[in-house]
Amino acid sequence: MDFNLTRQQEMLRDAVHEFADAELAPRALELDEKGEFPFDIVKRTAEMGLVGIMTPKEYDGTEMGHLARMIAIEEISRVYPPLGFFFQTGHLGHWSLQTYGTEEQKKKYLPPLCRGEMVICDAITEPSGGSDPTTTQTTAELAGNEFIINGRKVYITLAGVADLACVLAKTDDKFNEILVEKGTPGFEITRREHLAGFRTTPVNEVAFTNCRVPKSNLIGQEGKGLGIGLSAISVIGRTGVAGIGLGIARGCYEAALKFAKERQLYGKPIGELQAIQFALVDMNVEIEATKWLSYYAAWQIDQGKGIREIGVDIARAKLLGCDLANKVAPKAVQIMGGYGLSEEYHVVRRLRDALHLFPAAGTQEIMKVTIGRSIMA
Amino acid sequence: MAVDIIVCIKQVPNPEHFSKISLDPVTKTINREGIPVITNPWDKNALEEGLRIRERFSGKVVVLSMGPPQTRKSLEEALAMGADEAFLLCDRAFAAADTLATAYTLARGIQKIGHFDLVLCGNETVDSGTGQVGPQIAQFLSITCVTNVKEITFQEERKLIVKRALESGHMKVKVELPALLAVGQEINKPRLITAFGIMQAAEREPRVWGCEDIGAERDSIGGEGSPTRVLETLEHRPKRKGKIMTGSPEEMVKKAIERLREMGGLI
Amino acid sequence: MSQEVWIFAEQSQGKLLPVSLELLAKGQELSYRLGGKLAAILVGGEVRKLAFELMDYGCEKVYMAEDPQLSLYQGDFYADLLARLISENKPEIVLWGATIIGRELAPWVAAKLKTGLTAHCTDLYIEEIDEEPRLVQVVSGWGGNMSLQIVCNTNPQMATVKPGLMAKPPQRKVTGEIIPIDVDIIKNVVAGRMGQSRAETVEITEEEPEVTPLEEAEVVIAGGWGLNSLGDFQLVEQLAQVLGGAVAGTRPAFDKGWITESRIIGQSGKIVSPKLFISLGASGAPQFTTGLEKSQIILAVDQNPKAPIFEIADIGIVGSLQIILPLLIKELKQKRL
Repeated sequence: MDFNLTRQQEMLRDAVHEFADAELAPRALELDEKGEFPFDIVKRTAEMGLVGIMTPKEYDGTEMGHLARMIAIEEISRVYPPLGFFFQTGHLGHWSLQTYGTEEQKKKYLPPLCRGEMVICDAITEPSGGSDPTTTQTTAELAGNEFIINGRKVYITLAGVADLACVLAKTDDKFNEILVEKGTPGFEITRREHLAGFRTTPVNEVAFTNCRVPKSNLIGQEGKGLGIGLSAISVIGRTGVAGIGLGIARGCYEAALKFAKERQLYGKPIGELQAIQFALVDMNVEIEATKWLSYYAAWQIDQGKGIREIGVDIARAKLLGCDLANKVAPKAVQIMGGYGLSEEYHVVRRLRDALHLFPAAGTQEIMKVTIGRSIMA
Repeated sequence: MAVDIIVCIKQVPNPEHFSKISLDPVTKTINREGIPVITNPWDKNALEEGLRIRERFSGKVVVLSMGPPQTRKSLEEALAMGADEAFLLCDRAFAAADTLATAYTLARGIQKIGHFDLVLCGNETVDSGTGQVGPQIAQFLSITCVTNVKEITFQEERKLIVKRALESGHMKVKVELPALLAVGQEINKPRLITAFGIMQAAEREPRVWGCEDIGAERDSIGGEGSPTRVLETLEHRPKRKGKIMTGSPEEMVKKAIERLREMGGLI
Repeated sequence: MSQEVWIFAEQSQGKLLPVSLELLAKGQELSYRLGGKLAAILVGGEVRKLAFELMDYGCEKVYMAEDPQLSLYQGDFYADLLARLISENKPEIVLWGATIIGRELAPWVAAKLKTGLTAHCTDLYIEEIDEEPRLVQVVSGWGGNMSLQIVCNTNPQMATVKPGLMAKPPQRKVTGEIIPIDVDIIKNVVAGRMGQSRAETVEITEEEPEVTPLEEAEVVIAGGWGLNSLGDFQLVEQLAQVLGGAVAGTRPAFDKGWITESRIIGQSGKIVSPKLFISLGASGAPQFTTGLEKSQIILAVDQNPKAPIFEIADIGIVGSLQIILPLLIKELKQKRL
């Protein structure tokens, strides 16, 4: 077994690490305080080749694959998790188009998405719930050459700034994924949520009222929308969450470790006190374990394995990644005492961001349901 | 007008970890194992300048380094940054070289690469910081050199105006190519490596050359070719028998000033 | 071999650089030990009076090259000239100031002579090596953690020394001789290279430093990372004003934007040896202390009693800068009144 990353993946990690330290770290606090979506930073990540990191070169992507994507999200989230969240959610519709779209759709939308000129959101969750998309109420009535969409979607990340929405809707008793462009009459953003974390990645409520879109906006085969939506959540969403979780955990761990080496109590660094040291050791070990399990999941996607085969590996990655961040962040805040609660020191903001991983790409409980189903079969 | 550029780079231990470098008390050798390495930051400025010149004119940017096998990583990064080709001069015989032997070796490497109009390098390295290799390479190549360059402007084919930083001010120098320019860090901000660059460089590998490949004379390379050698290495921990003041903050300050007065430190 | 010890007496705009005199002091020590004469190389447009100034400080011979074409530093020209001069006269030792020009010229000449050169020596002395008196060149390495003794097995043995490291020599007038150097040969050589690989200095623009160069300050006050608790360098500057000293800092202080690059003390910055050095909130990493070890008196303030800076401080105060600094300023102001 060769556990080595390829030299391209190693170089990518170093490059994104440097980018995050140089261009994200100095602005993290200011961005969170303003709460505005950082279009200019997204453009920079596009210039770095990260937005299209899993997209074929012919559509302006860099085709580095899903493990590279996870590493990039991890390094970014180490410094500024909301941007990691942008990739986690923004890549959902992007990947659906890339995998199931027509040549025409791909040529039209993928290059601007890869260049950071367009943003796409994924609209699945409804007021009735998100854990079970089969209860989707939003309808897309087929009338001649058009879909007429009616319904409401809630907690849709990026909807407020997106140029495109990838909408899961019911046609008769089957599901379709349909592209809706911003500004289409009958499509409105009705509200923005005020959330604990991820302050710069807007989460919105959207409404469709007799929204007419051409039939050619259908992504993939008619009636196959549910499978497309769910596979995107798995391949893209859950791996993204694992990456964000790893990044948040590492960022908090590194900050706490540095603090523990410098802060003195009873004449020596607090890191020499066993209780603190053991807490840091726990973080260290759990991060490593989560890392390898998550990398393995992403690596298998790159090997071409199907969702059916690796859905459980991916669910494990999301499960652990989310738990990891939510364990490490509060502990780091604790170790850093008063400093841990100060906005300037970043750990407390990462703690708030970590909370958002709970419902992202499926709740922790849904992950267990997925794994449970598999082991009981 | 094409300007062919050769950039010399060096891989050095990461300065943030210098305190971990230890001295083996028995063998008296420096132990650098496990210390993370980086490309000398000044050399990245040199490479960046080379890439900017190539963007304006055509030509090739070739990167060259002398070092142990792990130096590959720095050369791969240089390729990912945009260099066209990379060469690693790697041979046991090159080891233990002082700046003269290093410069000779690099000059032979440059001659083996072939045609060039401009050689660029960082003004100094963060580890030894001598700043000597640049001018010495120039001498071996029989070309002129200007160090501490903070700005390069092309006037016409093969004629440049170069600004060299001085301690207080700067010097304007007219340069006719071929030449070697050693650049300072203020000359530019090196670009970040992108996924685009990484993938474009995926097919390119640094080529490795040894002593025979570059036709180097054995007595001019490595330890043999080094007029200077280290006689002794000692750990340096300067100590003074100082006094730490005691008492309340006010008392400590008063005592410190009194002591300063006694020692003649106050005018 | 002439047993002579030479120094390159760098001058700019008709004035000797302070380092040229500092080199004379060390040169004198070495020439006594070797039993040879102390000489200087002086190159420029009109530099005769500088030759006499060198002799005021104990220089016994001045090899002088005067020519309008040499009034500005010309690399090709100077390097050729010096290499010839040295290989003709064969001094035992040649010392150079590690100035920007010195750091270009010395290696260039060393490569022409195929001899060794050691940069930024912190100490130089003669020792018997294999029964021969050789120059031991001491340098600091790896961020100041190590001290290396280097020797050169070819002649001349050459070394550069950072300005401000060594003390100026006492005035010691000697009757020396001026040996003029014929520059025409070199002019022809250089002229012959027209149209191929040349560098010609066109002009020098001086920017007046707003404050005394660090190396010349009697009192230096340096702030480090510990100033974070105060948020800025204001109190450091106030203290400097009260004492009439120069403000400096560590590399982290530069990264924070509190000082300019020219004010960094340490391995990658300036080496200073003032009468009084005050370190505020700098823990004392070797990269920093290597720049101040030669100070006469060192006073350090830091909140960490275990900070390495206290190992090399003559006077130490352990406490919070927020409390100590204002007190220090207040007390010193009072004493001045």
